[in-house]
Amino acid sequence: MNFNKRSLITLGMLAIIAAIAYYFFTEKGITYIWHWERIPEMLFYYGPKSADDPMPRLRMGVLMIGFMLTLKISLSSIFFGIIIGTIVGIARLSHEPVTRRLAHAYVELIRNTPLLVQIYIIYFFVGSMLRLSAFAAGTAALSIFAGAYVGEIVRAGIQSIHKGQMEAARSLGMTYAHAMRHVILPQAFKRIIPPLAGQFISLIKDSSLVSVIALADLMFQGQQAVARTYYAFEVYFTVAFLYLVMTFTLSMATQYLEMRLAISD
Amino acid sequence: MIDIQNVNKTFRTPDKREVKALVDFSTFIHKGEVVVIIGPSGSGKSTLLRCLNRLEEIDSGEIIIEGVNIYDKRVNINKIREEIGMVFQLFNLFPHKTVLENITLAQQVVRKRSREEAREIARGLLHKVGILEKEKVYPAQLSGGQQQRVAIARALAMRPKIMMFDEATSALDPEMIGEVLDVMKTLAREGMTMVVVTHEMGFAREVSDRVIFMDEGQIVEEGTAEHFFTNPVHERTKLFLSQIL
Repeated sequence: MNFNKRSLITLGMLAIIAAIAYYFFTEKGITYIWHWERIPEMLFYYGPKSADDPMPRLRMGVLMIGFMLTLKISLSSIFFGIIIGTIVGIARLSHEPVTRRLAHAYVELIRNTPLLVQIYIIYFFVGSMLRLSAFAAGTAALSIFAGAYVGEIVRAGIQSIHKGQMEAARSLGMTYAHAMRHVILPQAFKRIIPPLAGQFISLIKDSSLVSVIALADLMFQGQQAVARTYYAFEVYFTVAFLYLVMTFTLSMATQYLEMRLAISD
Repeated sequence: MIDIQNVNKTFRTPDKREVKALVDFSTFIHKGEVVVIIGPSGSGKSTLLRCLNRLEEIDSGEIIIEGVNIYDKRVNINKIREEIGMVFQLFNLFPHKTVLENITLAQQVVRKRSREEAREIARGLLHKVGILEKEKVYPAQLSGGQQQRVAIARALAMRPKIMMFDEATSALDPEMIGEVLDVMKTLAREGMTMVVVTHEMGFAREVSDRVIFMDEGQIVEEGTAEHFFTNPVHERTKLFLSQIL
């Protein structure tokens, strides 16, 4: 069976599911007047922004503004999550008991408490002490959260590399740091792309929790739009779709990366 | 050149048993000498090699290489390792790097050679081990014999004073053993100081200066390869030789 035929079957299945859903909506007594026409302006619109900015031009609507913030906070958290996770993953394997135990404590602490609670603690407690903006606090909370999970993934990745690799590198006179950087981590990262992708897809979705600290992300903007218009179905479907765009793109990008890196196998 | 004095090394197995890998082991290896170490599995041969560049730490005793006690706390072990090439049973090439990159990496990172200089040296060595045409491929695309020759080139690129071979041909298909042994023989004839753990008695007879037979962490018998072929003294030696020859 070729690729196009399979895609057609998939699309067909989706269409059938949509048709059934539509049937239940329309024929089973749920009367709902759809207002999809109000959605496009929440994405893009042409016109003035406010009295201060009266120039009519193409502007992002509220959902698009939220989308951009979610993208920004997700990408920053992924970036810092990788850095924290790499350090933690290496520290978990340290010969130094103090380093090892601190890293372990961090992982257990973060993994075993709810992200929502962590966001509140970092925003209200740490954030007000250090005068962090909501964005900084949100990014910090998500990065620290992701760092714990990424740390475990990195540790497993490093441990999966045959110990002969480290021995070969060290026997050539490389320091531990050089061997990690040039020999172990590149191989480990290649191996952990699939679980990392899963983790970062989760992170993008979890980022919707930062709406509780009044960060105007996609979720927050969606809630506001619903409060204003009462078009809950249309808005939340659109919000879900926009999250899907981000996660699916990431998913595709990692598959491409995996393919590219497979050339040395 | 390598002075090994009363070295003891004990491993602790996961179930807390103690296994003595080296017991009061002493020997001296001269510059340019080719020493072949034979012995049954678990006799401490590999452990001895791995203690010579501190991939394992010894419990007591001294190992002095070119006047430097390598277990001295002030010694930078990385500097010692630059001078001791090691070839492993399972090659341990870096699978994410091409053949050429495998040989240039440590040259650039450790020896601080420029990319061009490192490549030139690498190509020279690939020519020497007879696989110059494979420089752009990844290790997984090479046969075992070719991989092991790349591993030898990688070690030689550091311009080491000593080369150690840890059962370098044991994981190879029989028809590939020869090509690797040929490279090792060339090295031996060029005057490289070599410590070779192997069961290839043909290699021992052709190029070795001395053969050491080890068992249970100690030297049972040593002498020329000829000695081992003609009149081994110990019963343990005779038994072992009858099994491998």
